[in-house]
Amino acid sequence: MTPEYILFSFLISLFSGAAGALLGLGGGVFLVPLLIYILGVPMHLAAGASILAVIATSSAAAASYVDEELTNIRLGMFLELATTLGAVTGAFLAFASGENLLQAIFGASLIYSSATMLLQLRRSGSVWTPKRNDDVAEKLRLGGGYHDKATGEDVSYGVDRSPLILGVSYVAGITSGLLGIGGGAIKVPAMNIFGGVPMKAAVATSNFMVGVTAAASAMVYIRYGHCDAFITGPVIFGTLIGASVAARMTNRLKGSTIKLLFIVVLAFIGVKMILTGAGIW
Amino acid sequence: MVERRMESRLSLILRVGVVASAALMVLGLALNQITGDVSYPTGILSIEWIIFGDPFLAPSHILFLGFMILLSTPIMRIVYSTVFFAVHRDYLYAVLTSVVLLVLIFSFTMGVGG
Repeated sequence: MTPEYILFSFLISLFSGAAGALLGLGGGVFLVPLLIYILGVPMHLAAGASILAVIATSSAAAASYVDEELTNIRLGMFLELATTLGAVTGAFLAFASGENLLQAIFGASLIYSSATMLLQLRRSGSVWTPKRNDDVAEKLRLGGGYHDKATGEDVSYGVDRSPLILGVSYVAGITSGLLGIGGGAIKVPAMNIFGGVPMKAAVATSNFMVGVTAAASAMVYIRYGHCDAFITGPVIFGTLIGASVAARMTNRLKGSTIKLLFIVVLAFIGVKMILTGAGIW
Repeated sequence: MVERRMESRLSLILRVGVVASAALMVLGLALNQITGDVSYPTGILSIEWIIFGDPFLAPSHILFLGFMILLSTPIMRIVYSTVFFAVHRDYLYAVLTSVVLLVLIFSFTMGVGG
């Protein structure tokens, strides 16, 4: 392990940790290709480093998000029920031949979500109309609120169509257990589009959950030697720093800015999944 | 407000986990650079090695202890919330978080046993 290698690995993870924290994704979607194409890390070791990096992003960012009340803890814990069960289901399913088709279907659904969010953004601009809690959300007190540092306003919101979000989160759990991708990319749009959860709260709440889903499968990766100490070490350190710094800035950005960034990244992930499914990438 | 207290404790738990694992990453990598020690077991890692190392606190072992702390951080925050909800008689959420915890333990035993 040369010092140059450690430095590059640190810089790559600094970026993926920051991007993951800001967008409520684990960050693996940036990290894995960068480790493979820039540093030549073998696929399975990149995946092993990535699963721990997802936990690092989640914990480091949540330390700030929870404190700033951006994270909707009750909503997160409610949906974790579905994502962890989904992750275990995904680990048991063995679609030996259906995996490519599944990639393509999820890719298409991400592009669809991305387009829906873009339309929504163009229609309403940066104006956000909060929704009311549905019956289940009312019973579980899922609504939340936070102080928006970009606008200086106190935002409070209800969660609409929470059973639907729960169902989508179960599917998100399955994809992350099965394909190792897609947890946050599916949950953030579900909370935002279906539930009317403001973008910052959706990002912070998704970020809160991805660590637990990743922890559910990380032990297997560690035992089977996919987490190489010297490849994973600098990645974890860079991710922790990147995610901590980015999480402190999220609340100062406008919700619509975060949403626009998310839309672009989501479309990119969607295209990548379709190409992977088609065997091109 | 009770919710607020849970939030600041949760945040503290996460922060401790993050700082501890970051410190172990720096220590392990620094020792590796100084001593050039890359000693490392091959094949499936035993639980004994992850806990005790061979030798104890070799650079690779320090890094793995950091990985384990990182891995336990989200689990600790679920354990804490379960206890918090139970103590504050919020039984609905106490049950909800216990189920998440059980699923996690189940998936963990798959990793430990498999």
